[in-house]
Amino acid sequence: MKVSLSWLKELVDYQLTSEELANKLSLTSIGVKQQTEDYLELDLTYNRGDLLSLWGVAYEVSAITDAPLKFLGDIPDDYIWVGKNLPQVKVEIEEEKLCPVYCVAKIENLKVEHSDDTWIKKLSDSGMRSINNIADATNLIMLEYGQPMHAFSAKAIKNETIKVRVSKKGEMLKTLDNKVRKLEDDLLITDSESILGMAGVMGGKDSEISEDTTTILLEAAIFEPLSIRKTSKRHGLYSEASKRFQHGLTKIRLLQALDGAIKLYQTLGGTLTAITLKGDFGQVNKSINLSIQKTNSLFGVLLDEETITKALQKLNFDVNPKDADTLEITSPYFRKDIEIEEDVIEEVARIYGYEKIEARPLEGEKPEKLDQSLQNFIHDLKVSCKEAGLTEVQSYSFYSSETINDLRLTINDLVKIANPISSETEYMRTFIWPNLIEVVAKNIRAGFKQSFSSSKDIAVFEIGKIYQPASPDASLGGPTESYRLAIALMNGSDHPIDELLVIARNVMTKQSANMGEIATSPSAPRNDDLFHPTRFTDIKVDAKVVGTIAEVHPRFLNNFGIDKRVAILEINIEI
Amino acid sequence: MEEKISGIQKNYLDKITKASSLKELDEIFLEVFGKSGEITLLPKNFKNLSSDEKKTVGPLFNQVKQELEKTIGNRRQAVREESYSKLSKEEFDINSKTKISKREGHLHLATRFKEEIIELFEKLGFSQFDAPHIESEKYNFEDLNIPKDHPSRDMWDTLYIEPGKLLLRTHTSNFWPRLMKKKRTPLRAMSFDRCFRYEAVDARHSHTFNQFEIAVVGKAGEITMANLKYLSDYLLKGLLGKEAKSRFRPKYYPFVEPGVGIDCLCVFCHGKGCRICSGTGWFEIAGAGMIHPNVFKAAGLDPKKHSGLAWGFGPDRMLMIKYQIEDIRLFLEGDLKFLQGFNKP
Repeated sequence: MKVSLSWLKELVDYQLTSEELANKLSLTSIGVKQQTEDYLELDLTYNRGDLLSLWGVAYEVSAITDAPLKFLGDIPDDYIWVGKNLPQVKVEIEEEKLCPVYCVAKIENLKVEHSDDTWIKKLSDSGMRSINNIADATNLIMLEYGQPMHAFSAKAIKNETIKVRVSKKGEMLKTLDNKVRKLEDDLLITDSESILGMAGVMGGKDSEISEDTTTILLEAAIFEPLSIRKTSKRHGLYSEASKRFQHGLTKIRLLQALDGAIKLYQTLGGTLTAITLKGDFGQVNKSINLSIQKTNSLFGVLLDEETITKALQKLNFDVNPKDADTLEITSPYFRKDIEIEEDVIEEVARIYGYEKIEARPLEGEKPEKLDQSLQNFIHDLKVSCKEAGLTEVQSYSFYSSETINDLRLTINDLVKIANPISSETEYMRTFIWPNLIEVVAKNIRAGFKQSFSSSKDIAVFEIGKIYQPASPDASLGGPTESYRLAIALMNGSDHPIDELLVIARNVMTKQSANMGEIATSPSAPRNDDLFHPTRFTDIKVDAKVVGTIAEVHPRFLNNFGIDKRVAILEINIEI
Repeated sequence: MEEKISGIQKNYLDKITKASSLKELDEIFLEVFGKSGEITLLPKNFKNLSSDEKKTVGPLFNQVKQELEKTIGNRRQAVREESYSKLSKEEFDINSKTKISKREGHLHLATRFKEEIIELFEKLGFSQFDAPHIESEKYNFEDLNIPKDHPSRDMWDTLYIEPGKLLLRTHTSNFWPRLMKKKRTPLRAMSFDRCFRYEAVDARHSHTFNQFEIAVVGKAGEITMANLKYLSDYLLKGLLGKEAKSRFRPKYYPFVEPGVGIDCLCVFCHGKGCRICSGTGWFEIAGAGMIHPNVFKAAGLDPKKHSGLAWGFGPDRMLMIKYQIEDIRLFLEGDLKFLQGFNKP
């Protein structure tokens, strides 16, 4: 939300510079993404939907700077339509759950024109573009009150009837951005015959305000946030309006905004000639019991009843003492995020000041130590590898597309990401050593040279997880992951496996855990193109193969541009 | 000229076919395509040709050039395949007692940082508890008070394995519900491990990154924001020096209430504002707060009888600040010059 500072000043009489206000807000209320002399852009979080309106921001700024609000006198005792006995526009709501309240006001005698400069400045400071005076009025009201509005051209609406319903399969709508959209479970606004728009997300082209519009039907409604969220996502339409519907709106503010909007259109020469307010406008503000003791124990600062009460009153909470330890708290109508006692405690804490918390060490019973054997083993193993002269690398948990190709892997044997960022994050690794081969190749290309050796020498290891897909038998559970140690050695000789065998034996015998035995007689030759046909052997625990030491097949290495021989080890360390 | 070209063609095709090692082929390649190779130099003489001659010589030259290139390539492949076929005759002394070259080993910067942090918190009675990378929606989101379809889910760009069910965890916080449901309180647990986000890789962002996270659970009324403050300062002073300190700001995370954003005083300018902290005097380093009652409920712990705190931060970013590393990709792309350069920070 971009907050226009000159506009905010009209609502609350704060005395800080833009920079001071930004600092104060970020330490007490909400992060500030950008600060300029004209506006502040708030880093809005889901909970603070109230800050999607200038009124909400004004209430907050008033609370944290002790500055008086200037708009309270504008809040009417009676709304402008009360006692006028105006006719109604017919409104039918198919499913009340998706649209608990719906208001529509008919305003006549308008003339489409450019907006004046003050409106244009307010909009541009708020990050919005001016369209024409009629559309701009709805946006100004949305920015000020937080309640989105939509103006339909009245003549486009047949029989002056509005229906709110869910779309049927196969229905289409051309939206304001000139795109024809296929509708599917979207909440719609329609007239007696055709679709006028997607509720809360975007209006239809056919009912758009045009140059000769003089009469509008002004919509102010509350739609179910989840339904708006789904429609927004499905059609990739994220507007200032849909954002506010998703955060949730209040009925009280809706009526205030409608009242404000009608008055704004009156300044453009408009006349209110019909109005419908459909739904139950009662809003019960939940009361919450706040324990003073709990506040102090969670906050870690001792506050008395008076301090707590004052902090909450600044934020327009009602506070009523119930007993010696309990305050009954009612949050202001616009703070929908306050649901439980802890929410209230956060309010007290931030107004009193997070900076006043004094550090205190953990006390009480020290818990029983959890089993650390795997973590300790991994740590010891890393140290042994380092002491054996190896350099630790950490590579991605994925296979590159080149590796998948060269390993000739069947992709069904891999854990697949459903929404990969690119082909490099599509499949998860089932071995670590191919990633180490890539590391070797990359360093050769980069001209890496060890200081001690004139020939190219690369000795690296990684301890990390590999990921195995779910077995076809679903009852055996989903994908699994386990830790492996992998080593790659290129020592310039044409038989690096000899040295790797010695290194591996040294590292493995140093561990207190049993890592398995390296066979002492060669295994039967193999011919799978990945490894040297004879230079490989298994690592076994009893009869079970837990790892392999091998020279990588030169063909595989050549594919990565490696001319020298490379030997690898890969061993499962979670046996 | 045409004869000359044909001569080169014949001569080298012959040589290439007879070559039996990659070394020979490399030499031939240099003779033909090197700086003063026969093919490389040839076009210099074309300017003396008549335009008629040029019309025939040009295409012939190109054809021969391509043919030689291709033949060398093919021969190289053939020589390789020949050498591959001899692999099975190579000896393998499985009990070889080869001498090991003396190399200086190195641990990854993140590993050393992890050790340092783990050691700090072990002193306070914390144990490591690591949770899976492939996680259910339940433990990554739902049990952390982030219900399905809730707009707050937009805070985490997620890589899914099975949408609606399985995903790559977006934070280490999945360890809390997994540990809490064992109901062995009090708890002081920590995890330094890998997490994933749907994020394109550049110098500042990575889809794969580390997180360090702690969670403390005690009796109701026992764990306070003052403890959170203590642990934050403890971490920062332990890692960055005595001068470091934390600053708390309100911040929303669905799994804590109250929620806290933790900043660290910029150790380079001592809070005055410099290039490294973008002039603010502080770094945003961690998200934290008091464990939300719904998180206790989801784990089967009575929120009325328990209190707890948690925070998590990105060690990669902290390392980048500490050592002024400009590119986050250096951590996971295996550049040995980088990995060995940080041996003695």
